[in-house]
Amino acid sequence: MSEVLIELENVGVAFDKQRRVGADRFWALEDVSLTLRRGERLGVIGRNGAGKSTLLRVIGGILVPDRGRVRRAPVSCQLLSLTLGFVPHLSGRDNAVLSGLMLGLRRRDIVGRLPAIREFCELGDFFEQPIASYSSGMVMRLAFSVAIQVEPDVLLIDEVLAVGDAEFQEKSGQALRERMGEGHTVVLVSHQERQISALCDRVLWVEHGKSVLEGERDTVFEAYHQEIHLQGTPP
Amino acid sequence: MRQHLIELVLFSTYAELRAERSRSYLGIIWWVLEPAMQMGAFWLVFGLILKTGGPDYLPMLLIGLTVWQWMKSCITHGGYAVWSNLPLIRQVRLSPLVFPLVQMFADTIKFAFIFVLLVAILWCMGYPPNAAYLALPLVFIAVFLVAAGAGFVVAAIVPLLPDLRFVIEQVLTVVMFLSGVVFSLKTVPSPLREIMELNPIAVLMEATRGILMNGEWPNVVGLTKVSLISVTVCLIGIAVMARLAPRYPKLAT
Repeated sequence: MSEVLIELENVGVAFDKQRRVGADRFWALEDVSLTLRRGERLGVIGRNGAGKSTLLRVIGGILVPDRGRVRRAPVSCQLLSLTLGFVPHLSGRDNAVLSGLMLGLRRRDIVGRLPAIREFCELGDFFEQPIASYSSGMVMRLAFSVAIQVEPDVLLIDEVLAVGDAEFQEKSGQALRERMGEGHTVVLVSHQERQISALCDRVLWVEHGKSVLEGERDTVFEAYHQEIHLQGTPP
Repeated sequence: MRQHLIELVLFSTYAELRAERSRSYLGIIWWVLEPAMQMGAFWLVFGLILKTGGPDYLPMLLIGLTVWQWMKSCITHGGYAVWSNLPLIRQVRLSPLVFPLVQMFADTIKFAFIFVLLVAILWCMGYPPNAAYLALPLVFIAVFLVAAGAGFVVAAIVPLLPDLRFVIEQVLTVVMFLSGVVFSLKTVPSPLREIMELNPIAVLMEATRGILMNGEWPNVVGLTKVSLISVTVCLIGIAVMARLAPRYPKLAT
């Protein structure tokens, strides 16, 4: 059995409801446990508001739990965030360097990958122009091209599987599937069961901030569908 | 890890300055024009209308305002940096210290431009560069430490108490008038003068003016005391920020 990289034990995370003195807090995660081993591709399923994105940020070390325990091997975890740190008045090139640094890359690494980023995003001469002049689709092309360069020990993906127009969606989806197929440890949050079925070998089902079931993909999906069927709510 | 943070701070500083240059029609001209307009306003009121100054008033005022504007920018821009970057802090695991440092470095580079202009103006007014200029880096390090100390403390607290921003501007205005920025402490009668000289900012103002206007070497003991106090305040600010850091990504938007 491979090495355990991250282990969550009865983890809970609370947020402030409002920005004022004495504001109440709500528990986005109440009681979640999971074990992530090296090389695993773990899918996280659950309905809207179940706490899936919060869970990813706990795994990524962005959020510190208010209760429970997190045990982490000395590994790098990175959430695949698009447009991280983007500044509208900077060129595509400068934004690529800035975003790459924020995503944890060293400057020499991101500078070395600039030709690959430029080629992948297919922006041509726009790469040297301020991104304020880009369409939203062009910004997402650049953002994905930078984010896909990051190679942490554990890659965390929150619904970002394909961006841009139909052609670029196919290209970006393919790049991400290749990355996931390279033996990396991945945690994927998605509403699309088909994607999780195709890309993940294990699944964690989260509901109302609590982990309901974690295990083999088919076993968890079967239990999930049974519950959905009983409640009469489409997944 | 540390090298990565240094690279991030330096490139973010470059990005901040470059973006600021692109946000207006006149670009970096504003870095000099804005403080020049402020200096002009103070000179008009205190020098020409109230005639509070004397023959050396204009150079004294220019030096005071230049240094003060640098400090104030570091304190306010650096102080609000964590709060204004909360959306980013919710997305990525980064030391919050990065954000105030970027603002403070950007303001320091802008100060360098203004300072070169100030030296040129002083030279034209009959105050040429002198040997005591060699001590300027020491004084400027002390100025930066004072500003960074105050900026870190503000940066740590403002995300939790954003209302503090409305108070800080007023406090800084009072501090400016109590620190001999627009008048020399030499014109203040005893014993008030001795009390005001306990203010570290006043010590730095007098040291800078002494160098630029009279070629006087600064009081090393005074500078060391100011620097030690500032380093302590910096460490307190960094410690408070590190302690509060887990709360920042959980704050309400």
